[in-house]
Amino acid sequence: MRKADIIVALGLMLVGFIVLADTIRLGFGWGMSGPEAGFFPFYMGLGIVICTFFIVLRGLKTYKKEGAGKRLVAEGGLTQILWVLIPAAGMVLLTELIGLHFATVLYLGFYMGVVGKMHWFKVILISLLIPSATYIVFDKLFLIPLPEGLWGKYLIPF
Amino acid sequence: MDILNNLNNLMMGLSAAIQPYNLMIAVIGLVLGIIVGVLPGLGGANGCAILIPITFAMPPTAAVILLACVYWGALYGGSICSILFNIPGEPWAVAVTFDGYPMAKSGRAGKALVLSSLSHGVGAVIGVFLLTFFAPIIAEFALKFGPPETAAVMILTFSAMTRLGGKSALKSLVAIFLGFILAAVGMDIVSGKLRMTYGTVPLMGGFSFIVAVIGLFGIGEMFLTVEEGLKMEGIKAKVRLKDVWDALREMVRHRKILMMGSLIGCWLGIQPGGATPASFMAYGFAKGTAADKDEFGKGASSGIIAPEAAGHGAGTSATLPMITLGIPGSPTMAVIMGGLMIWGLQPGPMLFKEHADFVWGLIGSIWVANFIGLFLVLAFAPIFAAILRIKFSILMPVIIYVCAIGAYAVNNRMIDIYYMLIFGIVGFLFKKLDYPIAPMVLALVLGNLAESAVRQALIMGRGNPMIFFRPPIALPLMLLALFFFFLPTFSKWKKSLTAKKAGVST
Repeated sequence: MRKADIIVALGLMLVGFIVLADTIRLGFGWGMSGPEAGFFPFYMGLGIVICTFFIVLRGLKTYKKEGAGKRLVAEGGLTQILWVLIPAAGMVLLTELIGLHFATVLYLGFYMGVVGKMHWFKVILISLLIPSATYIVFDKLFLIPLPEGLWGKYLIPF
Repeated sequence: MDILNNLNNLMMGLSAAIQPYNLMIAVIGLVLGIIVGVLPGLGGANGCAILIPITFAMPPTAAVILLACVYWGALYGGSICSILFNIPGEPWAVAVTFDGYPMAKSGRAGKALVLSSLSHGVGAVIGVFLLTFFAPIIAEFALKFGPPETAAVMILTFSAMTRLGGKSALKSLVAIFLGFILAAVGMDIVSGKLRMTYGTVPLMGGFSFIVAVIGLFGIGEMFLTVEEGLKMEGIKAKVRLKDVWDALREMVRHRKILMMGSLIGCWLGIQPGGATPASFMAYGFAKGTAADKDEFGKGASSGIIAPEAAGHGAGTSATLPMITLGIPGSPTMAVIMGGLMIWGLQPGPMLFKEHADFVWGLIGSIWVANFIGLFLVLAFAPIFAAILRIKFSILMPVIIYVCAIGAYAVNNRMIDIYYMLIFGIVGFLFKKLDYPIAPMVLALVLGNLAESAVRQALIMGRGNPMIFFRPPIALPLMLLALFFFFLPTFSKWKKSLTAKKAGVST
């Protein structure tokens, strides 16, 4: 936990420095018409760098004194999280190709069938029903087109 | 005369709220809100965020009624989950699990549900009462605000937030700064320059707060839920007439706690403390003043009444700073306020002048919706609780799917779904490492307003920052902000000083 605390704080500090670099390019002082474009973000970035510096400092101090502390993710928790994250990321990547509706059919089917180990009939029923319902509500009723991906529009005949 | 005027306006608002279309929207919003509140991972904030794209097609009054009703519904729904499953569906419902679950476990689940929802009702009524009669006064006052005053109000907001969250002040500040930076990515509205895009096209569009909310609250929460290995074992509940009667008697008996809880809630809701600290504070207050302290934790009625009234009071009164000052009092209100800006309304004092029908329609709907919500919960609590008995392997992917739709539909951009996943991971890490998320969301929503207020104020002061301390309005606001910010440091310092003294004397 303490290691992660320090690493995350360092990462945020990096974000702060990246922001500072760009605001210095934009100019953070007083321009022709008042504060320049980089003015506000410059001080926000500076704030992050200063605050994370102290967080890292404090983290190192307690780390030295009390050791690493609890794990960031509970035992066995990481696999559980990856089981959520990877299929979700897979769905998003598939969406680029075949559109959200079809990606969802596969995603729901995969999750319920493989992870949930549910009966195949239920799996097929639910994973077809839910995307069809959202297709009707969003694409047809509210006229909000959901992503079609590269080939999605050729797959829906109506 | 003012009061008469208010009543007149309220009547107008009520009549708008009970138009069949708006009433239907309210019921849909409440049902969705209760569902969202019951489900782990989804909450009021991201429920509203997901629905914002749908509201583009509605008139603003109906749109705000929908979102507000999702919020009230989520407030009610969070408690169902806490009481029957011992799993808080929402952070503000944590305090309810202390006594609500034991009471339900001992076979009085119906009574616990009635107590909780009636307390919600009372908290809401007191909150909306304040809103009806004080909002116009505050709005009138806020009309005198210039950019320095607006900036001062925002500084006060964030300083209160930094300290009220109970988290490390450094980490709160980092969260706030990060929110402002994310809001600044993209085109600068004053100079037209591209900021922090580093020559990439996707960053030119900036970050939408809706996507951030869905990722931080929805996906991040999902990771936390699976990490802990959630088990849903609920208590079956039925609400009988006798329970209602019982609960009513208890409420009359604990009327002082009920009032105190509601007032604590309203007070913290107006400041951007939000419902969560309010419910804890009210629980602590009820426990502190009770004659039978041993009962607490075993199913004491006042242990349910106090946090519930406070939570809902806070939620309702969070509307007040949003429509009068343009400062949301809670993350969900921040999302609703973001919606207002998307619909082309500028939250703040002018709203009362220019869009009176909208404001009073909203206030009227709060009155109406809370009564409907109360009825819905009492009548259908078992059905809503049954949602939680759906297998997790169905709920989880469906929730992520709904989140993805919400994230995409804001700007019809594929990149937003990727951002959502990234924000999910960030949200998980932030929750784990105690970085508060609410101030970050608030900063993201208020980003442009805050920045232009600061810049305009500095132009007015010709670069002299003393403009933020200009009397008569900005000065006390800034002093209050400083006071809030340094209060915990002072009290710590004082404590260590007295401890030292005691150490010397012994």
